Amino acid sequence: MTTTALPRADEATPRPLATKHRRPADTLFHAAVLGSVVIALGFLAWLFISILIEGAGTLSTDFLTQKASQRNPSIAGFTNALRGSLVLMMITAFVAIPLGFAAAIYLEKFAPLSRDALVGVARRRERSLRVRLERGEISGVRLALARLWVRIGYGWARIGPPINTAVEVNISNLAAVPSIIYGVLGLALFVSIAGLSKSLLAGGLTLAVLVLPIIIIASREAVRAVPSSIEQGAVALGATRWQAVRKQVLPAALPGMMTGAILAMSRAIGEAAPLIVVGGITFGTAIPSLNPVNAGDQPLFAMPLQIFNWATQTREEFHQLAAAGILVLIGTLVLLNLTAILIRNRFTRRW
Amino acid sequence: MADSPATTTDDRLVARSVETPELRTETSDIAPVTTDGKTVVFGCEKVTVHYGRARALEDVSLNIYRNEITALIGPSGCGKSTFLRCLNRMNDLIPGASVDGLVSFHGEDMYAPEVDPVDARRRIGMVFQKPNPFPKSIRENLAFGMKVNGIKPTGERIEKVLREAVLWDEVKDKLDDDAFALSGGQQQRLCIARAIAVEPEVILMDEPCSALDPISTLAIEELMRTLRERYTIVIVTHNMQQAARVSDRTAFFTVKVSEAGRYGVLAEYDGTQQIFQAPKDQRTLDYITGRFG
Repeated sequence: MTTTALPRADEATPRPLATKHRRPADTLFHAAVLGSVVIALGFLAWLFISILIEGAGTLSTDFLTQKASQRNPSIAGFTNALRGSLVLMMITAFVAIPLGFAAAIYLEKFAPLSRDALVGVARRRERSLRVRLERGEISGVRLALARLWVRIGYGWARIGPPINTAVEVNISNLAAVPSIIYGVLGLALFVSIAGLSKSLLAGGLTLAVLVLPIIIIASREAVRAVPSSIEQGAVALGATRWQAVRKQVLPAALPGMMTGAILAMSRAIGEAAPLIVVGGITFGTAIPSLNPVNAGDQPLFAMPLQIFNWATQTREEFHQLAAAGILVLIGTLVLLNLTAILIRNRFTRRW
Repeated sequence: MADSPATTTDDRLVARSVETPELRTETSDIAPVTTDGKTVVFGCEKVTVHYGRARALEDVSLNIYRNEITALIGPSGCGKSTFLRCLNRMNDLIPGASVDGLVSFHGEDMYAPEVDPVDARRRIGMVFQKPNPFPKSIRENLAFGMKVNGIKPTGERIEKVLREAVLWDEVKDKLDDDAFALSGGQQQRLCIARAIAVEPEVILMDEPCSALDPISTLAIEELMRTLRERYTIVIVTHNMQQAARVSDRTAFFTVKVSEAGRYGVLAEYDGTQQIFQAPKDQRTLDYITGRFG
């Protein structure tokens, strides 16, 4: 019997490449995702175009500089609303940005939150006490207090972590609370308790509370994105923790933090509901002063309120004014978001 | 002795070698000078480290001597980096880390409650595994450490430390360029320059070459040999050949598994030649001959 030798690899005829064939699942998926984008953008475009058609005729420099009027639509303008919104933004930014940044830095860089961190804090306290005891430096009441302090440390290490987690989760939850709830809070806190009247100041503070969680969350992300090796490098050179954070971590995180802050501002500028709750549907004819120091005496008024006011009128001319107001508001929002994107693209670093 | 900004590194070193380190016998039994005349920089006694509840390192006792290169070797997870970070209190930064036992620096307990860890770190510089320049210019990278320590970052000083780190010729024309534009090896030498710039006495290196190519590694090893004249160097390395090439003394760490978990212990500590040619511990022998790890 003859043995047939297997063909050597280079002798075997290679199989030809397969021809293309349809993959229906792929095509279907492709169509579905594309369709979703078209539907989403389509609605937005429809909305924008219809407002553009209605409002473009009314939009002019006169519209931006004339006072508000509820009687005569031909001379009614957007000045009061624009100025009101500007002052509101100044107050909101002034309060929410520093607070939000500071809270984010504390939570990311200084707060001992985890169980391990808290056990470490207590251990260090205990060690320090032991050394002082060995040297006979501590006795009597101070010793008793120091012992208590160590015990508190270990106790907190046991019960603290879930509390910390609850606080952290709630910061995230706060960002999702409907804005009208913040209006109720602002009305109670700033108008009733603090007695700020239904002013721009009360409105600005309410918006600040509203965007604070958004700023904290975005800033924490930005701080976390800076590798810890940067901070360690600074500390290893003899910098204090604070110097390391302020001079190295913060500058590196700032573009991200600013992006978050600007996006939070663009959220605040479009809010109507909390302002309606705080200030009611007022209609001011007085032009608000641009000086934020006077904001406590200025009636609460802003772009979304003016748009709401005009849109609920019966006469068609007022609807055109509302459309023009919406265009100004959208323009401002686009400008803010564009700034945020530019900062992100220009300064973001890949580590 | 506070260093005035005008004193150069050389003056300082001369001044220090005349000084006898203050003896604090009540906190330390380790004599700062051994019988053969070597100065003890770090005396460690039963150093144990925990991260949270987990033990990372147990009962390490060894002395580190002045103007020597001491290598710490051993398999992953043996606690050699953890030990290194005890020597300049970098473990303070890790939430939950705690150090027990005695680490003395020139005879003084480094972990005594009144000791300022910031001053300790300034005198004990550190270079990390991955080059970690600040996201700034080369000049600013060097100036930062100088400024926080009250040293004026003059052009002259910057040139001096860059020369010392053998980087000057490569970067002299681009001092204001972003440090991230440098190659990995150059970045690591910049980090060494940055550490030297604050005029430390000791330089701790945590696997300084593990992210570098062989040529950059060679450059850094050369640099270490020159730096030994003026500094005390402790280096953690995965690379046994590197330890054999550059170090005077080698500590071999290993992993111990017990009911307390997996943690590092010191297996053997001796002159580098002794460790590599005639180790006394079976675990060291197994490791250096490649039978384990």
